[in-house]
Amino acid sequence: MKSLSKANLSQFLETMNSKVRVYVPVEQDGVSRFAPWSQDCQLVLDRNTINPPKRLFFPQTEELYEYQVDKQDASVKSLAVKPEPFVVFGMRPCDVQSLKLLDDVFLTKGYEDIYYKQKREQGIVISLGCPEPEETCFCDSWGVNPARAPLADIMMIESEDKYLLEAQTEAGEKLLADLSGQLTDQSGELPEGKPCSLKVKNEGLMEHLQPKFEDPVWAEICRKCINCGTCTYLCPTCYCFDILNRTRGKQGVKYRCYDSCMYPEYTLMAGGHNPRPTKKERVRQRFLHKLQYIPERYQELGCVGCGRCIKKCPVNLDITRVINQLWEVE
Amino acid sequence: MNAQTAKIREIAKELLEKQEVQMVIGWEKGTFFYNSTPVFITKPEDVERLIWDEYCAVNLAKLLMDYRHVEGKVALFVKGCDARGINRLIQDKVIDRGKTYLIGLPCPGMKDAGKAAELGKDKAGEAPLEAKCLRCTHPNPVVYDVLVGEEVPVTGKEDRFARIADLEKMSPDEKFEYWSKQYDKCIRCYACRNVCPACNCRECVFDQGQTWLERAVERGGNQFYGLVRAFHVAGRCIECGECERACPMDIPIMDLHHKIAKDINELFGDYEAGLDPEGPLPLGMYKTEDPEEFM
Amino acid sequence: MCNCNGSHNDNPLLPVVGKIIKIVEETPDVKTFHVTSENGKPFTPMPGQLGMVSIVDVGEAMFSVTTQGPEHLEFAIKRVGTLTDVLHEAEVGQSIGVRGPYGNGFPIDLFKGKDVLFIGGGIGLAPVRSMINYCIENRDDFGKLTIIYGARSPEDLCFKDDLFENWPKVRDTEVHVTVDKGDDNWKGNVGFVPAFLEQINPSPENTIALTCGPPIMIKFVLQSLAKMNFQPEQIVTTLEMRMKCGIGKCGRCNIGSKFVCLDGPVFTLAELNQMPNEY
Ligand code: SF4
Ligand code: SF4
Ligand code: SF4
Ligand code: SF4
Ligand code: SF4
Ligand code: FES
Repeated sequence: MKSLSKANLSQFLETMNSKVRVYVPVEQDGVSRFAPWSQDCQLVLDRNTINPPKRLFFPQTEELYEYQVDKQDASVKSLAVKPEPFVVFGMRPCDVQSLKLLDDVFLTKGYEDIYYKQKREQGIVISLGCPEPEETCFCDSWGVNPARAPLADIMMIESEDKYLLEAQTEAGEKLLADLSGQLTDQSGELPEGKPCSLKVKNEGLMEHLQPKFEDPVWAEICRKCINCGTCTYLCPTCYCFDILNRTRGKQGVKYRCYDSCMYPEYTLMAGGHNPRPTKKERVRQRFLHKLQYIPERYQELGCVGCGRCIKKCPVNLDITRVINQLWEVE
Repeated sequence: MNAQTAKIREIAKELLEKQEVQMVIGWEKGTFFYNSTPVFITKPEDVERLIWDEYCAVNLAKLLMDYRHVEGKVALFVKGCDARGINRLIQDKVIDRGKTYLIGLPCPGMKDAGKAAELGKDKAGEAPLEAKCLRCTHPNPVVYDVLVGEEVPVTGKEDRFARIADLEKMSPDEKFEYWSKQYDKCIRCYACRNVCPACNCRECVFDQGQTWLERAVERGGNQFYGLVRAFHVAGRCIECGECERACPMDIPIMDLHHKIAKDINELFGDYEAGLDPEGPLPLGMYKTEDPEEFM
Repeated sequence: MCNCNGSHNDNPLLPVVGKIIKIVEETPDVKTFHVTSENGKPFTPMPGQLGMVSIVDVGEAMFSVTTQGPEHLEFAIKRVGTLTDVLHEAEVGQSIGVRGPYGNGFPIDLFKGKDVLFIGGGIGLAPVRSMINYCIENRDDFGKLTIIYGARSPEDLCFKDDLFENWPKVRDTEVHVTVDKGDDNWKGNVGFVPAFLEQINPSPENTIALTCGPPIMIKFVLQSLAKMNFQPEQIVTTLEMRMKCGIGKCGRCNIGSKFVCLDGPVFTLAELNQMPNEY
């Protein structure tokens, strides 16, 4: 284990950034997100960011390939590029866990999404554990330990005036070795944090929900939802996208862009039929996708309990309250 | 429980028991002390869920749109801004006044939930009002069937155009820079549109595939979205501030709407939308003496 | 394991650009496009599998591969929107993007050694045709083939050569055609597919029924099959959903935890009965 004095954090990041591009959680123009490190950025280390770090691996808008057309002829060229290695510093355990789910979606079941894969392979994750979860956090109900991120390359957690760092992968070891000049050896174990105060009952939830598709409770739950995409766009595990064309004259770019099951057009077919015509079906899809379908398909939950949707839903349609309400249904 | 909460429950219970309405839309307590969230009551025994406190910021008017085709009446609690939202929907022929029962609530102003959350429960009393409430000109409902409690004075608030005075002083380049930074944050979730009582078109231009706007989230498209929406509600925006409150990226959307409202006042005379559902809209008519500065 | 038969490159979202080599006008609003590429057939699908077809500067949409030759794929496409409008205006020589094959295809093993009852309506014959042709090419593997097909009017019948020339000539094969409304030259049956099916009254004995068509037709065909004692395990159909990626990533084509682009589009009725009713 290594330690880093808090006072030296900036120097540490600067040194790391001179070797490899580093993304850090910052407050920028009034909103928090992960952005490239610079000396004058405003670091946010006391709470998680509103924009999830999944954007570094799966950006909202991403070019897929370019094309040229000339009368009847056409050609395409992939725009997938492997980025230089980069470090994501300060990712919270919930968001690290979300990468596990994104890996399952983008890298398994027969097809690998090369655009995601190239970034994922090049990204080194330094997770920052949470000594004290925010009141909207409920990751530990899903089995995430707020102070540990097993999938991270390096686990880091604050302890008084220091940060303690432990490498968990080879890439992590190597990075810490490269930065050894900034670090002090330290004995002992990484400290634990406090549990979350917000809780939901997890055990058996998938089985409980399986027979609830037709339950009238969905007509109740959906009522206040305004079908904006806020909850899905901020969610670290939501991955739905649309594929679109941007044509300018004889050339153009095929790109993808976040989409949301909250929008009516999402499932609207060319002939006019829509399997999810009202907000009841759409809200049901969002919750069952996270709590039943993803567990059925990938044997893990589709929510990591980060609480972003609770914080930012304009009508406080809170997933934990929905889960409680669903538990009450016989 | 405050006295008004008791009163609104009583009113709701009576309406439902006598079957004068088939649903009452109000607020109930949400996750944390600073969340009050819309609730839809259909059974008299459920009225105990209703509350009225300093966090009932959500404008309920838009939610009525889901019930415009149902049989019978729906009752709705309205603050000043909800009531103007109702007038907006009536004037735009989206809902039928005859099918709504409005329970007016004079509004002392709602607390800024984000700030209250930061301060914590014990100090929440010190939290400032929601930005939209600081500049509210009509805290008393402008339309209702019954009013609960006494009207409140409009005092101690900011001039509603104060925030844009600084923006107006900027050079065009500075303005561009400022708004670019703001709209670069936009994630195009469309919460601002979906929450807005003036955004009530049957089919929004932004839902017509990529006909009018590409889906790519980038500077030009984001600004186009913000501006087009602002112009689509010009002269109809009731200044309820819901768009800005709903925006997860904290974009100062109201500045656009206030700027347009101010310009309309200067060009066509003082006007506030949603006060009277019958009167002509400033941009929905013309007079021969209208200024032609833009020509 | 993916069901791509090893044909996709390392970027499954990138199409192969091929060309239209032949266009057959099936009906006033359906055309069949024969597509090939520089390296021959863009991919080799199993019957019932899908291909993502694009006019590269306009857009993409998913279609079933209605049949294939040694060097080409065929897509029968109905005019319903922007992309299909452009496709219908296209001429031989037009470049076409294709990627695939996607989806599970028909469960061949379930059909083997059995009689097969094909029931199609309108453009729904397109996926069915891939299986009919497969059965014909591997004729000894299957029992009797009964093909029941209907369209709105005689001019709306797809694949007329197959219906009236090719398929009736195949050994132990019956073809029954009906239209909702006849015209002066129509000598065949007039009436809806489900009633026509009940009139023909095929036996469920050692038979698999495969049905594709408009949702309303499917609904009544399923009722008729139930009346005739077909079990859910004996009935196979295909589903349509809006699709974008085709590879189980973009999320939109799910029905419960199944993705139609990967786990479908072919399901037995027994499987569908286990899934949420949301399609
Ligand atoms: S749950 Fe909330 S954030 Fe999500 S779509 Fe509904 S209103 Fe928007
Ligand atoms: S559903 Fe909400 S709490 Fe769960 S991971 Fe997504 S944003 Fe976080
Ligand atoms: S949800 Fe858990 S891991 Fe995420 S920020 Fe909160 S406490 Fe930390
Ligand atoms: S634009 Fe904003 S302030 Fe105006 S009516 Fe709509 S939500 Fe309210
Ligand atoms: S609510 Fe904010 S982030 Fe969402 S579309 Fe509107 S301006 Fe953009
Ligand atoms: S089409 Fe994208 S997941 Fe099926």
